[in-house]
Amino acid sequence: MHPLIISDVTLTFGGLKALSGVAMRFEPGTITSIIGPNGAGKTSLLNCISGFYHPDQGDIHYGDQRLTDAAPHQVAKMGIARAFQNLELFRGMTVLDNLLLARHSKLKYNLLQAVVFIGKAARVEAENRRTVEEVIDFMELEPYRKNTVGTLSYGIQKRVEVARALTMEPQVLLLDEPMAGMNIEEKEDMVRFVMDIQKERNATIILVEHDLGVVMDISDRIHVLDFGEMIGSGTPAEVARNPKVIEAYIGKE
Amino acid sequence: MSANRWLATGNFFTSYREEQRIFFTHLDRLVFVAVLVLLFAWPLFFELSNKYMLVVNHTLIAVVAVMGLNIVTGYAGLISIGHAAFVGVGAYTVAGLATTLGDSHKLITHAWPLMIVLSGGMGALFGAFVGLPALRLKHLYLAIATLSFQMIFEWVIHFMGFFNQGQTIYIGRVHWLTGEVGRSSHYVFWYYASLVVVVITGFGIRNLMRTRFGRCLIAVRDNDRAADAMGMHPGLTKVYAFALAGFMAGLAGALHAYLYRGVGIESFTLHHSITYLAMAIVGGLGTLHGAFWGPAAIEFLDIQVEHLSAWAAQIFPAQGNLATALRPFSFGLVIVLFLMFEPRGIANWWRIARSYVKLWPFRY
Repeated sequence: MHPLIISDVTLTFGGLKALSGVAMRFEPGTITSIIGPNGAGKTSLLNCISGFYHPDQGDIHYGDQRLTDAAPHQVAKMGIARAFQNLELFRGMTVLDNLLLARHSKLKYNLLQAVVFIGKAARVEAENRRTVEEVIDFMELEPYRKNTVGTLSYGIQKRVEVARALTMEPQVLLLDEPMAGMNIEEKEDMVRFVMDIQKERNATIILVEHDLGVVMDISDRIHVLDFGEMIGSGTPAEVARNPKVIEAYIGKE
Repeated sequence: MSANRWLATGNFFTSYREEQRIFFTHLDRLVFVAVLVLLFAWPLFFELSNKYMLVVNHTLIAVVAVMGLNIVTGYAGLISIGHAAFVGVGAYTVAGLATTLGDSHKLITHAWPLMIVLSGGMGALFGAFVGLPALRLKHLYLAIATLSFQMIFEWVIHFMGFFNQGQTIYIGRVHWLTGEVGRSSHYVFWYYASLVVVVITGFGIRNLMRTRFGRCLIAVRDNDRAADAMGMHPGLTKVYAFALAGFMAGLAGALHAYLYRGVGIESFTLHHSITYLAMAIVGGLGTLHGAFWGPAAIEFLDIQVEHLSAWAAQIFPAQGNLATALRPFSFGLVIVLFLMFEPRGIANWWRIARSYVKLWPFRY
């Protein structure tokens, strides 16, 4: 387990600076939240980490691996998984299939073995199914196993999204607003899952979330972004006292 | 496991291995084996005229080609308008060797199974090459790239002396255990050869679809952004889909060359590409058995309309030209009707019929 280090990252779209000089450090095994008002650059930062965007300046390192120019599928293979903000599930497939295919790069058999199937491919796939079943059990998705994802309710789909990222057995899990648009009960469930993932699965969690109550409760550290710049970081108590953060959220007198 | 292995009323799996099965009940397997035995046995009892045997063989070859098209267009969601050109690549692999070695060289007449596999390999090679734009292009732009391959292929064959400028290149008669396959048994022989290829590749694709190599195709079709985040290279997956489709097309091409004992460009034109696409749509994109329904339905329709137009031309001799237009007209009409009323193809009828029969006589 290594820390994930973002050093001096700048990202521009034309003339717009989405991120400027952002530096963060995510310690292994902790829950670190990134908060900030709308348009602060939180999702852009996650996109930089997971390889969908490449920063113009600065570097992102995970251990001795450099993520700055890596493509998403390369980042995924390094053990960094991501749940999307706007559900990017395979809507036509069942929950089971969504989870099965998340382990694509972990399944070791070749094309010929796949065509013959009997033998190695069958064994690996049965093993794959078992691992997926553990995640289904963990995320309490048993009733929906064989349901097509598109037919499930929003809250369940969000849970499938997190489950799919979890199926990849990540060391670092990026969660982009996993609680957005949920009711209290669903939020409480999701908070419980996030804390369980940290404890039982021993993953580093990077959480982007708008619900400050949740963030203050479960985070080990918080980084605050506003207009693409870091305006504060520290423990929840420190951040809550930071005048710049209060200004960004509530405004000046 | 359920007590009754013939009729399962629910899910009684006790291991993940059981869930991987293709046939869930003994009844499923029995029906499949019965159909297979029937397909292999009927030529022994029933002699079809050469004309109709040719149609049957042609259908089987189309099944092989459409299974390939189904991979790239159905499962991976990439429209390919150049599939006949890939079939042509397979056929011209055989033809090219026939030109260089002589049309009755042992490699062609004796080692024909090897030639069929080799043609598949060539098809895969060309498929992967033509699929390269998929690393950059998407949707319709990619379709145009495949169309351009179709155009280039036809043009190259037309203008190369090596390929006899698109006119027929002859292929010698093949040999089998009993010696040379003669005129009388030619069609039956190639019926069996094509059927074996269909069964082997059919099972191969069915197996592929329950492994990561099949799932990645569907993942890239449904959401290539998410597929990327799941550790799949979307571009390479598309190239692989094209290669797989090219392989199947190559097999079909070689079978075509041997069946007609000759290769000419007129069998691999844009018109044929569209026909393959129509077969895939009518059969049902993204389903394996759709690749069987589609060619069968289109070929059957074609024969029926041919009879109809011949009959109409007899009754109204003055409108003979008009009657011949019935064939392209009905072909177009069927595609439009399917796109409008059953975009999931005949495979969907099969699915509905199955789920009805499964619960019979209970309707809930």
